[in-house]
This record gives sequence, structure tokens and C-alpha cells, in this order.
Amino acid sequence: MMDTDFANRRRRDLIVAFCLAAIAAIVPLFVKDVYVQNIMVLTLMWGALSQSWNILSGYCGQISLGHALYFGLGAYTTTLLFTKFGVLPWFGMLGGGVISAVIAMGLGYPCFRLRGHYFAIATIVIAEIGLLLFHNWDWAGAALGITIPMSGDSWLKFQFARSKLPYFYFALALACVAWFVTWWLEDSKWGYWWRAVKDNPEAAESLGVVVFNSKMGAAAVSAFLVAVGGGFYAQFVSYIDPESVMGFQFSLLMALPAVLGGIGTLWGPMLGAVILIPVTELTRSFIGGSGRGVDLIVYGGLIIAISLARPQGLVGLFSPKRKEAVR
Amino acid sequence: MTAPLLETRGVWQRFGGLVANSDVSISIGRGEIVGLIGPNGAGKSTLFNLIAGVLPPTQGSIWFDGEDVTALPAAERCVRGVGRTFQVVKSFETMSVIDNVIVGALVRNTVMRIARRKAHEVLEFCGLGARVNVLASDLVPSEKRRLEVARALATEPKLLLLDEVLTGLTPIEAQTGVELVRKVRASGVTVLMVEHVMEIVMPLVDRAIVLDLGKVLVEGKPGDVVRDPKVITAYLGDRHAVGA
Repeated sequence: MMDTDFANRRRRDLIVAFCLAAIAAIVPLFVKDVYVQNIMVLTLMWGALSQSWNILSGYCGQISLGHALYFGLGAYTTTLLFTKFGVLPWFGMLGGGVISAVIAMGLGYPCFRLRGHYFAIATIVIAEIGLLLFHNWDWAGAALGITIPMSGDSWLKFQFARSKLPYFYFALALACVAWFVTWWLEDSKWGYWWRAVKDNPEAAESLGVVVFNSKMGAAAVSAFLVAVGGGFYAQFVSYIDPESVMGFQFSLLMALPAVLGGIGTLWGPMLGAVILIPVTELTRSFIGGSGRGVDLIVYGGLIIAISLARPQGLVGLFSPKRKEAVR
Repeated sequence: MTAPLLETRGVWQRFGGLVANSDVSISIGRGEIVGLIGPNGAGKSTLFNLIAGVLPPTQGSIWFDGEDVTALPAAERCVRGVGRTFQVVKSFETMSVIDNVIVGALVRNTVMRIARRKAHEVLEFCGLGARVNVLASDLVPSEKRRLEVARALATEPKLLLLDEVLTGLTPIEAQTGVELVRKVRASGVTVLMVEHVMEIVMPLVDRAIVLDLGKVLVEGKPGDVVRDPKVITAYLGDRHAVGA
């Protein structure tokens, strides 16, 4: 009987997600304003990125503040493969994902021996090293960056000068994929292993969980998806330099929606992104170009408010579990 | 005679200058309930950790089910059939009771539906059937102890290591705990338990091993052990000599 309850809940999540995606898909057909469409693209992209970050940091509990590295690697791989070798961005995004996953595991090998804050600090430092390397790598454009040459609208090259719609649908697809991967992993051996590792690695080990491998798996999946997002972002803005795809703020921007919405939850990252991204984009445009950083102040304020009022994230407002636990 | 399920051969564990276990050689037969007793600091928990694979011994070897497992990490020993609980409970606090147990069940069953069913069965067996969807952090202490046992049982162990599961419980809770341990043994699992509450342990175990200062002091039938003069001076105190 409990089994069917559980299966029903899983199915309900899937149906809700499908309906939300379907609604999202028709919104831009009515909302023609380019500025608003731009915000929608960014919201979906940050939702997807945060969802991916959530796999390593939320479910597996390894707080990474260096995911900008994978975002940047995705952006650079896609762009370099296209501009230097003529490889289509579709393959570039996949290639960037694979490279990032491999690098994430390579970095995880020493770093996953660190616990808690020490791990988080290591991720910050490593991402900074990556940033500096790209700053000084002449072949990859160094500090000047790379402009992706535009040659007219093309699905093949995934570039569109006039319409935002293709980008919107790609971002929506990416968000759906990231959500679905999370949904699928949540009720898998990996999902249970990750949560066990987060809560108590020693107990997990005693139950046959190979803690180190679990962390490596989470890092690989997380880095892969984030890098695909980075590749997409490069196509979307068609110009990249180290600061604009690998800066520290990107690491924060990936973490914040998940923290706001509910870290380690299925719906938290997307919910957080839907609130955060429009709010910050709007503040940015109201304050104007001189108010650089105000959006981050708003971010910070929201995070402080949420951690005081509802530390488990906004998603707790919708969760029937809370009522049960209160008794 | 068949080979013992667990054997430690001349096991030493040193922490810097401190010798926690010195030349400990014990063996546990299949289907036994063995009690490991001794005063605080006798090296019981260290021996438990060595058997469970949390740390490798400084010297000596550990044999489980006819195989040298000395070099194997904890997760591998769990796969071989060693289940354990922790003296200080280590529940997965943000997970529900059933999810806690599923983690254990996944060692033997990778199909989620089967692991989930297995977890339900084990929780029913351990008397937590009514609490499956509660968060582990919302359980009362005695339930948390049961959850530890359930989680370990879900891994289908051949040997279950119980680290003070009956300590700190009310007499009634302890009594249901004793019944649970008996049920576990009846289901074919060998049990090695560290325990302090002599009144409860002695009637339960087939054999008792007394550790003192890192060494095996005495081992034998519980009735004989409590009358042993060495045990009385080292652990029980003269007061017990009268009663025994």
C-alpha cells in the first residue's frame, strides 16, 4: 500500500512537470517582447544549471562553489571547436560536457578526501585557477575572448540573429532534461547513496555504500549538465571571455536558486530560479548600468530572509511531508 | 566442526602510544549470540571497528566466512555479510525511515521496487512498520536504535554487530530489544553484541567475551564468566560477587 503511495507521488511529479513544461512552451507565442523573452531564456538556463549543481551539492552534499569552471569549460569547448575546427556546436556541447565530466572526476580524486568547508574552499580555488589559465591562454583568446562569427540564422550552427525563440526552446529542453535526470536519479541506487553520503558518510559506508565513487558519479553528472549549459550560453551571447563565462559570480548564481528554492529537492532549483532571475534582471534594468552589483545585493537579501524564515527552502511551502512531521 | 564465521587472529591496534587492542584472538561460530563486555576503555569499540573495517588493525588479521578480510574497507565487508549498528546512532536524519532502510537493502537488490519491498519487510520485522514515512530525525531514541538494526538487517548480513543497542533504554524498551535480538538470531543471523547492562545481556548470550585493558580477560558461558574472580575485580566489582 505504501508502495503505491510512493509510485503515485512519483507519477504526480512527472505529470506536473510535463504540464508546466507544456505551459512554458506556449508562453513565448503570446509574449512577444524581446526583453521579457530574454529573461525567460535566462530563467530556464539558470534553473537548469542550478538543478545540475543540486545533484552534487544538494543531493550528495558536496558544496561546490567552483561550478563556474565547468560552465566556462562548456562555453570554451563549444566555441573553440566551432571557431578553430568548424565542429558544430551540437557536438561541441556534448564534447564540453564529456571534458567537464572527466575533469570533474580528475579534480574530485584529490578533493573528495576533503570534508565540508575545506571541500568548498578547494572548489573556489580551483575555479580561480581555471579562470587565470584562460586569461593567459593566447590560443583560446586570452583576456580578449572570442567572438562567434555569425553567418545567418541556422539550426545547424545553432545561431539566430533575430529571434530568441530557438534559444528559448533549447533552454526549456535543457531545463526539462536536468529536471528529468534528477527525477530519475532520485529513485535510483545513486540517489539513495548520495543522500546517505550527505547525511552520514560513515554509516553509509557500513551499509555497503562506496562513498568515494558516489561523490565521483555525482560530480560527473553535475559537471556534464552544467557544461552543456555553458555551451548553450556561449551560443546565446555569441561572445565569450574568461570573466563572462568563468567568473566566480557564476558559481554563486548556480548555487543560489537551489538554496532559495530548497537545496537537495527536486523542485527547489527551478522554483528558486523562477523567483530570483526575473527579480534580479528587473532590478538591474531599473537601477541601470551604474548599479552594478545591486542584483547581487538583492540575491543576498533574499537568501538571508529565506535562511531565517525557512531554512529548508521555499519548496517546503508546498510539501505535504511537513504537515506529517509536525503531527 | 565447521570453520567459525568470524575470527580475529592476534589483532593489535595502537593509537600512538595507546594500545587499544593487544593480541586479541576471538572466534565467533555460526548462529551464536556472543556478548562482548568489559569496562570503559577496554577496547570493545575499537575491536568492533576493526571487525567492521572502519580502520585496519596495526597488526594481525581478520577472517570472515573463511576469507582474509583484513585489507577490505567497510563497504566491502558489508557486501561480504558484516552488518553493524553504531554506539552513537548515525541515522540519515534528512531521510525518511523507509529511505534509511532502502540504502541498506540496495546492497543486495538493485531493482528499486524490490529494495523498497525488502525495506518494508525489515521495518515490519523490527516493529517500525507504523513509522515508515516519518523523518528519521523525528524518531525517539529507542526507535532510532531499532532503525539502526533494521538498516543493518536490510543488508542481509551473516554477522550482525550490535554496539550498545540496549543501553539507555527503559526496561520495557530493553525487553522488546532483547526479543528482537532473539528473533534476529532465529532468522539465521549470528550476533556479536557489545553491552553494559549485565542483567539483560547475560540471559541473552550463548557466550561472553570479557575485554580488559585491550586484552581478552576471560571467555566462556555467561554463568561462569560472572563468577570468575578476574572479571569481578576488573569489571563487576565485589558487590556482584555476592549476588552471583
